[in-house]
Amino acid sequence: MTNEELWQSVLSQIQLNISPANFATWFANTGISSVEENSITISVPNSFSKEWMEQKYNKDILKIVRDFNEDIKEIKYSVNPINTKIVNKRQSNKKDEPIEQLGFSELEVNKETNLNPKYTFSNFIIGPFNEIAYAAAMSVVEEPGKNYNPFFIYGGVGLGKTHLIQAIGNKIKEDSPSMKIKYIPAEKLISSIVNAIRNQSIEELKKNLREIDVLIIDDIQFIAGKDKTQEEFFHTFNSLYQKNKQIILSSDRHPDNIPAITERLKSRFNGGMIADITMPDYETRLAILNQKAEEKNLSVSGEVLEYIANNVQKNIRELESSISRLLIYKKTNNSKLISIEDAKKLLKNIIVSPSRITNHKKIIESITSFYDISSGNMFLTSRKKEYARPRQIAMYLLKKELKMSYSEIGRKFDGKDHTTVIHACQLIEKEYEENEKMRQEIDLILQRVYSK
Amino acid sequence: MNFTILAKELKKGLGFTEKITGKNLTLPILNNLLIEALPNFLKISSTDLEIGMQWWGACKTEKEGSVVVPAKFISQLAGTLGEDKIEIKGKGNNLILEGKNIKTQIKGFSTEEFPIIPTFLKEIYIEMDGKKLKEGLSSVVDITSLSQIKPEISGVYFSFNKTNIKLVATDSFRLAEKTIQGEYKNLFNKDISFILPQKTVKELINILPEEDGKNIRIYFSESQVMFETFLPNSTHPEINIVSRQIDGQYPTYEEIIPKTSKTKIVVNKDEFNRQIKTAGLFGGKTNEVIIKIEEKGIEIKSQDSEIGESELNMPAITEGDFSKISFNYKFILDGLTNIKSSEISFEFQGNDGPAVIRPVGDASYLYVIMPIRI
Repeated sequence: MTNEELWQSVLSQIQLNISPANFATWFANTGISSVEENSITISVPNSFSKEWMEQKYNKDILKIVRDFNEDIKEIKYSVNPINTKIVNKRQSNKKDEPIEQLGFSELEVNKETNLNPKYTFSNFIIGPFNEIAYAAAMSVVEEPGKNYNPFFIYGGVGLGKTHLIQAIGNKIKEDSPSMKIKYIPAEKLISSIVNAIRNQSIEELKKNLREIDVLIIDDIQFIAGKDKTQEEFFHTFNSLYQKNKQIILSSDRHPDNIPAITERLKSRFNGGMIADITMPDYETRLAILNQKAEEKNLSVSGEVLEYIANNVQKNIRELESSISRLLIYKKTNNSKLISIEDAKKLLKNIIVSPSRITNHKKIIESITSFYDISSGNMFLTSRKKEYARPRQIAMYLLKKELKMSYSEIGRKFDGKDHTTVIHACQLIEKEYEENEKMRQEIDLILQRVYSK
Repeated sequence: MNFTILAKELKKGLGFTEKITGKNLTLPILNNLLIEALPNFLKISSTDLEIGMQWWGACKTEKEGSVVVPAKFISQLAGTLGEDKIEIKGKGNNLILEGKNIKTQIKGFSTEEFPIIPTFLKEIYIEMDGKKLKEGLSSVVDITSLSQIKPEISGVYFSFNKTNIKLVATDSFRLAEKTIQGEYKNLFNKDISFILPQKTVKELINILPEEDGKNIRIYFSESQVMFETFLPNSTHPEINIVSRQIDGQYPTYEEIIPKTSKTKIVVNKDEFNRQIKTAGLFGGKTNEVIIKIEEKGIEIKSQDSEIGESELNMPAITEGDFSKISFNYKFILDGLTNIKSSEISFEFQGNDGPAVIRPVGDASYLYVIMPIRI
């Protein structure tokens, strides 16, 4: 006899002896939560029911239970609050509403997993630029912890890394709700470790982290230079990895290019699947725009979307913000159809980005911080390889981005001869064409130069 | 049962406990009060199975005993009594109330049927100033979410930390946080936090003392919490309120509170309050008012195609970018009501980020509000 059957028979006998109102009040949402050798634990929805059962019905219940099982000597009661959560799909009646009261986006996030439910695979657009990452993600979803562990995704700003890793988390949660999933942005990991050290609760934090089935860390590159965080993370990583728990990481660059993280972490990041997400091609950009427009219920001509797809090339987030701009424009102008001229005017800021202007200082800074070279002077003169290569890249970028003359560049580098500069530029140019890794590095540096 | 009590005292007890009862059709016993004569004390209990309340008052008990009588009825009857002493007796399920020139008999029910209010382990508790809690709760309670879609924000969040107590409420469009500084006694020796349903908080505000320096205690048991006030100069409880806690985890609300601001203004609270009210009249159905921040002051604009439009100006100290941000004026007023200082600061994060209102010179309260997208 199962617990449910036993409780069912208790209920049907009790029902005969008490009034329907009493029965409905006190026995709703009760059940047997566990049966031990000679006691039974009954779960009740609140303390009022607990008191009432203990004092009023305990004898009756025990008597009925003993008819079925002689060994039971005692009945215990435990309070188990029922979740009164009403699963209510958000109404989408915002369509005709021209006004939009904004809410705290933080509250949308699932408290337990930290995942934002808006990131799913169904609104993730796949193209040649991310299909490997997507395929690997799907295989992680199928068997978390088995196929690709750790799963490391890297790629530039606004290309959908966060979307992809959160979608993995959401999908796993949907498939097997019992799994413990945790999404933690690296910054948060750092701050919680710092807090734990201060409050002397580091053991508790460790324990919590090690009970997770799927650990997702976003922007892992931020732990560079944070030694204590790296150490804690290393131990957590090992402990989860040994138990075949899935680890998912994202970063803006290949693990080998993250400066100031220990070798042992690097080698572990390299131990699983590494997938990159690159820039979306024209067709994918158009597909993304179409979907975003549909999501936001914006009807706009294909011509306008093509114009955006052609002109906003490097960042999916910017595609999204273009659509938002069109939407606001349309609202304020009472649903006038947006012409290509309007779009051009509206998107001037995004397309002719003022941040495309840079200077040599910015380029040098980006390079030194990218390679984590602290000493500026050494960078200008030293012949050591770790300085020479970044210096050559710097010369190449000054030439390419700022169109400075060779001799001018030479002067910036402690009076180097212009032939040295020419050599450096040609060398890097060639590497850029031929070496995939070099190309990624330079693209990432450029992204830094032009972000802010 | 037989006891004598001052009518004033009886009215007081009925006034508190009667609020918890309501119309309960499935279990009519809940519409009643349990009246018990204990040695030297009269005890009145009521419950709706979500909240339970117990009240004690001094009386002269001749014979102990108890009765259950309809709450509304006995309160109405007590309301008609004068100031004199009255004598109450039990006779079977009935209650006999006798005073000068008056003799009544009320039909009651079996005390067996009345729910048992959960008991608590009383050795460990939190003890704090009751008035401070009352004021703190009053300043956040109306901000809780009324919808049950997210149950965890339908109550007030209590967080007892080492050095302070925080009370927080949000409805996902705005958030109020009150910090109670100062010593309090926490025998649990660890931080404690829980979410209390809005309804309980409102009842709690009613029973908390208005006088300075009266402490109250908070006890916990499985998913329940109890607040208790004490009789003057005594360790005997006066009123306690037992309630469920809301199951769930409160959002990490600290993340919502912006750490920096793009624009900041400081204005006279009363004048700002008036201006927002006036502008609100023209806000139409959407309640929308636009605040435009300029160099030496602010302009508050609102318009509605059916009502008309208004344009108001007031001086302000401004800092940072000039901008134009749109809000629901009611949300602004809700925040201002709970501020006592004469000046407030209003900090903005552009027209789609959270804005913060704080009283100038008082760090214990803050109010975060989301704009309306322009």
